Amino acid sequence: MLVLTRKVEESITIGNHVTVSVLEVKGNQVKLGISAPRDIAVNRTEIFESIINENIKASEAPMDLGMLSETLKTGSGE
Amino acid sequence: MDKIKTTRFGEIDIDKSKALHFNDGLLGFPDKKNFVILEHNPGSPFLWLQSMDAPELAFVMINPFLMKEDYLQDISPEEEALLKGEDDDEIMVFSLVTIPRGEVQKATVNLMGPVVIKTGSRSARQVILANSGYSHCHPMAFR
Repeated sequence: MLVLTRKVEESITIGNHVTVSVLEVKGNQVKLGISAPRDIAVNRTEIFESIINENIKASEAPMDLGMLSETLKTGSGE
Repeated sequence: MDKIKTTRFGEIDIDKSKALHFNDGLLGFPDKKNFVILEHNPGSPFLWLQSMDAPELAFVMINPFLMKEDYLQDISPEEEALLKGEDDDEIMVFSLVTIPRGEVQKATVNLMGPVVIKTGSRSARQVILANSGYSHCHPMAFR
């Protein structure tokens, strides 16, 4: 892992198009500003990981969905 | 028609022109880029997203609007742009379903990370709607 030290209002650039700026430091919280092209997904790592974990669980689906189809309630649901 | 091998469905015929290409793969499966959509059963709300690269890899998908009628109606313009991408190609949105083994009544739908398919180019992505308030494990409603 590359480690850089930056001050408030300083930034780093990743690749040609992604810039991460340090906006504010308060206690143990750091406020970052990220500017990136629209097709680059920027997410808190824990959100990203929760989707990865959910995908892994989803990939273990059983083949028989019979009961699921029969009991599924679709639409607005009264 | 082309044949692919699958663990769940055996060897099946697919129409390669209908294959989907995930440039970045699905999250957690970055090197599995080619998928095809299979119907579960006629009349079933479920579809399978079957990998063409790995016979054992398949996901159950559902139309998220069946789970939540007003899905995507209140997302921010930024997240809407994320969904639609740069061009005007028409999109289809699906949600992956997680079905705990032996506990189908605890099945959940991933509304936070929908699969978005461009119907023209057949390219697909999984988008994270982190600020939408949607859950990655939204409980399915059962009768």
